[in-house]
Amino acid sequence: MNGSLDSRLDENIAAVKNEFGSSKDLATEMVSVGPGQLVRVSLIYMRGLIDAASLQDRIRTPLLTSVRVKSDDRDFDPVTIVRSELEAAGGWSRIDCIPDISQAILSGMTVIIIDGVTEGMAVDTKGGQERAVEEPSTQSVVRGPREGFTESAATNLALIRKRIKTPDLRVESRVIGTLTRTSVDLLFIQGIAKAAVVEEIRSRLNRIKIDGILESGNIEELIQDNTVTVFPTIYNSERPDVVAAGLLEGRVAILIDGTPFVLLAPALFVQFFQSAEDYYQRADFASLIRILRYICFFISLLAPSFYVAITTFHQELIPSPLLLSLAAQREGIPFPAFLEAAVMEIIFEILREAGVRLPKTVGQAVSIVGALVIGQAAVEAGLVSPGMVIVVSITAIANFVIPAFNMGISIRIIRFLLMMCAAAFGLFGVTIGLIAMVQHLCSLRSMGVPYMSPMGPFNLDDQKDTILRLPLSKLLARPRFISANRIRGHHDSPRPK
Amino acid sequence: MRQRRLRRGFLLVIFIAALFVSGCWDRRELNELSIAVGMGLDLSESGIEVTAQVVNPGEVVARGGSTGYSTPVTTLSAIDKTTFEALRKLNTLAPRKIYTSHLRVLVIGERLARHGLNDVLDGVSRDREFRSDFYLIVAKGTTAKNVLSILTPMEKIPANKMFITLGQSHKYWAPTVKVQLDDFMSDEANPVKSMVLTGLEVVGNSEKGRTKRNESRSTPYALLNYSGVGLFKGGKLVDWLGEEESKGYNYIMDNVYNTAGHISCPGGKELGVEVIRAKATKKGKVEGGRPEITVRLFVEENISEVRCKIDLTKQQNIVLLEQLGEDKLEGILMSVIRKAQANKADIFGFGEAVEDANPRAWKAMEDKWPEYFAKLDVKVEVDVQIRKLGTTSNSILERGE
Repeated sequence: MNGSLDSRLDENIAAVKNEFGSSKDLATEMVSVGPGQLVRVSLIYMRGLIDAASLQDRIRTPLLTSVRVKSDDRDFDPVTIVRSELEAAGGWSRIDCIPDISQAILSGMTVIIIDGVTEGMAVDTKGGQERAVEEPSTQSVVRGPREGFTESAATNLALIRKRIKTPDLRVESRVIGTLTRTSVDLLFIQGIAKAAVVEEIRSRLNRIKIDGILESGNIEELIQDNTVTVFPTIYNSERPDVVAAGLLEGRVAILIDGTPFVLLAPALFVQFFQSAEDYYQRADFASLIRILRYICFFISLLAPSFYVAITTFHQELIPSPLLLSLAAQREGIPFPAFLEAAVMEIIFEILREAGVRLPKTVGQAVSIVGALVIGQAAVEAGLVSPGMVIVVSITAIANFVIPAFNMGISIRIIRFLLMMCAAAFGLFGVTIGLIAMVQHLCSLRSMGVPYMSPMGPFNLDDQKDTILRLPLSKLLARPRFISANRIRGHHDSPRPK
Repeated sequence: MRQRRLRRGFLLVIFIAALFVSGCWDRRELNELSIAVGMGLDLSESGIEVTAQVVNPGEVVARGGSTGYSTPVTTLSAIDKTTFEALRKLNTLAPRKIYTSHLRVLVIGERLARHGLNDVLDGVSRDREFRSDFYLIVAKGTTAKNVLSILTPMEKIPANKMFITLGQSHKYWAPTVKVQLDDFMSDEANPVKSMVLTGLEVVGNSEKGRTKRNESRSTPYALLNYSGVGLFKGGKLVDWLGEEESKGYNYIMDNVYNTAGHISCPGGKELGVEVIRAKATKKGKVEGGRPEITVRLFVEENISEVRCKIDLTKQQNIVLLEQLGEDKLEGILMSVIRKAQANKADIFGFGEAVEDANPRAWKAMEDKWPEYFAKLDVKVEVDVQIRKLGTTSNSILERGE
């Protein structure tokens, strides 16, 4: 009892079925082998979790053909023969108690129990439906690889291994989540990643005590530095090349089985404004686009606040013709500027959320309908001024320029706070709000690394890859705070002599 | 730990409460403001009359928002003892608060200018809502209220028109002076220097000029025209400079950017020139206790119009024309200097030139400078260079022979 196998097959099968509460997808196949087909062998597996071909090739076929052939021998020892056949077909492992059997079955293995034997065998027949490797939906590039991670950790690991072909790439695996038993892998390159950081992440992962991990977001929340902040401190990506680049810089990657989003820690503020494409296109173009991204960051953060602050408190700052135009637009609008701005922003957020959930056929129509027609109709109904519609649209569009979606979310939240500051205290309030935000950002740390480096603790070397993207020949040192080994390579001038 | 958290929570609550309790005072929505683009000051029996030209934004906007219901600007006036009070009194007339930060021009009626400006303008310069980038103008022969009531074609906001025209005429025609408030106040503070302000007159029928019909005719009933420069002494308007004299003033002050003039040909008729560059320097000297000033003027001009018979291809003709030009300019400069001397008003800043040259001697002369200025010996040296002849060399008159 207490979980160990009985010698009688029927007892064992009943025990396993009991463990699973007679679930319908638990299959128990019976095969007879041995002289006169008197020895009964049972194959137990979960229907959806196994690969049928594997089951056929590695278990059934050997059992039903070779074992039967050999079983005419008088000295038939079913256990030995079955074992040797299974070994020829691909290997097996010993299993001898009911809890282990349950785990094995749930991991996609097939358990083989022979009548009269108190030891079972488990063969790996893992299969099941898996998505093909396709272009990542959230982070696409014009130029660059089109492979994206899938939900299978094994596939994802392979995608990374394909790119980093050094034995120094270490993979440490652990299982987190008492009920989901999710496999979580920690990746880093030995010699490049800082040992302290790796140890810190290891200890944080080990401290997690939770019943289920379903997505990398859960892990992210559980291991991030304990500060109250809207800004993301761990980067995630669906692209293998991004993760590989991060590993090469000395970062640590965390793969979670069941989600294509891989975490990269530590994360810096400037990372969320970098896109993989920056490194595949020309340096000058990439630098300009990066500058554009920072400009859009400010636009997305400040445009409504500036508009509200200046038209409500600081009309003297506006050039006279513009002031007259704005004054003319606001004739007859019943709401104060702040209320207009807040309502328009909230309507845009509603449209955005709705757009995410709409079925594809309807989605296109609503986005165009929503943005243009509702905005236009609101203007014509005299509820908002046209200037406000423009400001809000530009804000929303500028938000999409930022490559990392989680940073975009943070900006949307801060935008509302700054709007309130602007409405109450004008530009003075905006300035105070910005100072508070900057101070908050500078106090953040990601796995012990200051969040705002290389701008916070200012580091001249690392400026080569923050706002501008200098050519690769100049980018031959790894970021100071992240990696232990900073030398990347040497590069003499590529020009022909 | 718990203490810290409690304190933080408490501070947060206080902060949010402060946000709500203070609300957003000092908040002025755009549709609560009347934007005053022009302001006028006139003398009246019981104090000073302040006129404000405020914009009706709906009428001014570019796209067809105009309803035709009212005029692009409205003029409102109020009388009180001090400028600031009168300005506030205007709020009893206007449906919204008068907002003066976007002022373009400040017009001063001639009567008030002659009466004296020093006390009147203090209120304007002290108020924090007034910027200092608007122009001061004197309404010549009329009241500021009248000037501000005239509607202008082509430029919907008359104050804007006055602003732009002043800039333009300064740039291309030169007998006007752009004076901003801070220039005026700093010069007023200087007891030695006298001020000048441009004059603006209403040409035509003012009555009809106030109505919308003024805008809808190709030849408007009334036009706002800049003419002449007013001479101020001790903050009071004392004299007007004519057109030529105003140009002379601008030459001496090195304000000329581009203008046109003419020279009399040796045979009679005129020859037009376009001045493309002018540079003037004033140098002071004290000789034997007597101050002397030398004004050097360097002018480059192109020939713009030839009405007489003269062969421009000959070098000596060009030299002759240059000489004639120099004589003419000398005459103009001397005439304005004499006029200023007659009024004992040092509008050119000659006193400063003398002070730069000899500060010790200046100390003795400082208090009685107007007397010294009136008898000042001023040497004028003009150098004219003719550069280009335009796209034809000799006129038809010359070639036709």
